[in-house]
Amino acid sequence: MKLDLANPDWRTALPPSRSVVADAPVAACAFSRDGKTVAFALGDGRVRLLPADVKAAAGAAPEPVHKGAVLSLIADPNGDGFLSGGDDGRLLRIAPDGSATEIVSQKGKWIDKLAAHRSNGAFAASVGKMALVVDRSGGCREFGPHQSTVAAVDFSKDGSRIATAHYGGITVWSIGQVTLPPRRFAWAGSHVALKWSTDGKFIATGTQENDIHVWRIAQASDMRMQGYPAKVKSLSWSADARWLYTSAQPVFTAWPFAGKGPEGKPPLQFGEEGAGLITVVAAHPASEFVAGGYDSGELQLGDIKTRRSVVLKMSDGSPVSCLAWSPDGFQLAAGNDNGDLLVIDLRR
Amino acid sequence: MAEAQVPVTVLTGYLGAGKTTLLNRILSEQHGKKYAVIVNEFGELGVDNDLVVNADEEVFEMNNGCICCTVRGDLIRIIEGLMKRKDKFDGILVETTGLADPGPVAQTFFTDDDVKARTRLDAIVTVVDAKHFLSQLAQGDEAEEQVAFADVILLNKTDLVSDDDLEKVEDRINSINRYARIHRTQKSRIELDAILDKGAFDLKRILEFEPDFLHHGHDHDHGDEVASLSFSSDRPVDPDRFQKWMGALLQLKGQDILRSKGILAIDGAPRRYVYQGVHMMMDADWGTPWKDGEKRSSKLVFIGRNLDGENLKRGFEDCLK
Ligand SMILES: [Zn+2]
Repeated sequence: MKLDLANPDWRTALPPSRSVVADAPVAACAFSRDGKTVAFALGDGRVRLLPADVKAAAGAAPEPVHKGAVLSLIADPNGDGFLSGGDDGRLLRIAPDGSATEIVSQKGKWIDKLAAHRSNGAFAASVGKMALVVDRSGGCREFGPHQSTVAAVDFSKDGSRIATAHYGGITVWSIGQVTLPPRRFAWAGSHVALKWSTDGKFIATGTQENDIHVWRIAQASDMRMQGYPAKVKSLSWSADARWLYTSAQPVFTAWPFAGKGPEGKPPLQFGEEGAGLITVVAAHPASEFVAGGYDSGELQLGDIKTRRSVVLKMSDGSPVSCLAWSPDGFQLAAGNDNGDLLVIDLRR
Repeated sequence: MAEAQVPVTVLTGYLGAGKTTLLNRILSEQHGKKYAVIVNEFGELGVDNDLVVNADEEVFEMNNGCICCTVRGDLIRIIEGLMKRKDKFDGILVETTGLADPGPVAQTFFTDDDVKARTRLDAIVTVVDAKHFLSQLAQGDEAEEQVAFADVILLNKTDLVSDDDLEKVEDRINSINRYARIHRTQKSRIELDAILDKGAFDLKRILEFEPDFLHHGHDHDHGDEVASLSFSSDRPVDPDRFQKWMGALLQLKGQDILRSKGILAIDGAPRRYVYQGVHMMMDADWGTPWKDGEKRSSKLVFIGRNLDGENLKRGFEDCLK
């Protein structure tokens, strides 16, 4: 990996990049599985596709595919397009050419969270109090109802289970052929974000009450990290599962999960202090890098090994709302509340 | 930054009082405004409208374990989602079911920073069924609490009761909450600007009352019934002492104090300090500036159960310079 944060040019100018103004808040962004296309979910019902190659010509803005706002977007785990969910209750498959086909339509529900397994082709969606799992062959199963709306969903490392976040804790559902009873892990309050660790051992949530909660699945033991000044809405595990990055701090904040775990230890904090708090954090898919977006508009790249970082400014002060790394880790996509779309090429 | 906060109106009322009629009217009338409506049951509304959003209505208990500190997480999610739309709203209406406690809905707007940054609780509007209100009071706490929380009351179905009975109902409403503005209506017919975008709560209504209400005698025999009290003074308020007192008071008595609100003249400040609380949660902000030569007086209102008038009065007076 030739990503060098010591590149002095980046302190004054962005690396090669593409910038597009979309004129609607960006809810999510993602690179396609083949890494050739970047997609942005927009508040006017459009899914804007851009070539990942920042020098290739970008097409015109597409027609809206959702009726209201697009709320969620991931790479299609079975193709080179995307999946999008909207507040029109529809889940769409977006082909690389931008054409959309409907997978689910549930009027009155919002499809605001999507997650895919990295290799088995399955994906999951939150649809009201239910979690929906669609397997590689298109078979669709529902899990629930939960006691409240499913606020977040994620897959286990081996793809045999999903975890859902809701009021009062999380639920782990077995989604394989053998149906096992769901396991409930309780913690009072509303859980608003959830990420299963990349080694499958931990599930982390961000809560409504400005803290994070982490369960050790095998032992069913849990821990709580307090003291955030805002809700932790973004969580990201490092590729090697040694670190859990969290938003809602002015610098990169990573809890150590190697060895005995983070109990009794402070988080590792590094990077330049932003004008505001980190709203989105995204660990690099393969290495020790991490990207963070701020509510004050900055983008920062960090290297947890060297604790070095570089601030990449992003247009004005609009809060960064989403970040995504390309599968090869050489490109980074970002969007903000203003509708600025950015793709940065970090190859040197 | 500094995007305008969208006003939120909470619409509550007992089953059959006329909420749905009112909502249908707001959604179908030509008023040139765009309102998002958050409802608990889609089916009840006859209007098929993209701006209607279905809500969960389940509340979650916070980690402090207090039974009155409950919040509607689905509202936080929905409001965050609505803010992702390109088209912005002139207002948001939140409907609660007939038997719901309006507390958690109101508290949601005091609790969540993201929601607070983008919306402001404009008013709680309660639709009261003039014919059935007195019997509904006997059936549980809901009808009473819905009136207690109200900033504006639509006393509806007035055509179905005699003038005498209407007086009785109005008296009973006043005994619970004399600071809500009452509009008599039939078939929920009302000018929308009487209920929407009132600017925080209805400040004028609070100021209408004579300041020395307490001295006219407060009926201590209400027992567990909800009542309202107010205090006022022409002396400036010390902000630190006020914060400290109110914080401690609500921590201790917040389960009984359903609502508290006030307009305060802070010592040396050019603007009014507008305060409001729901149970233990509170919020305050600077309001309009005092005019030159205007009499700077402060007014504080409590609506709740077991209000100890003397104690509250002493507490308030200790905050005065
Ligand atoms: Zn409480």
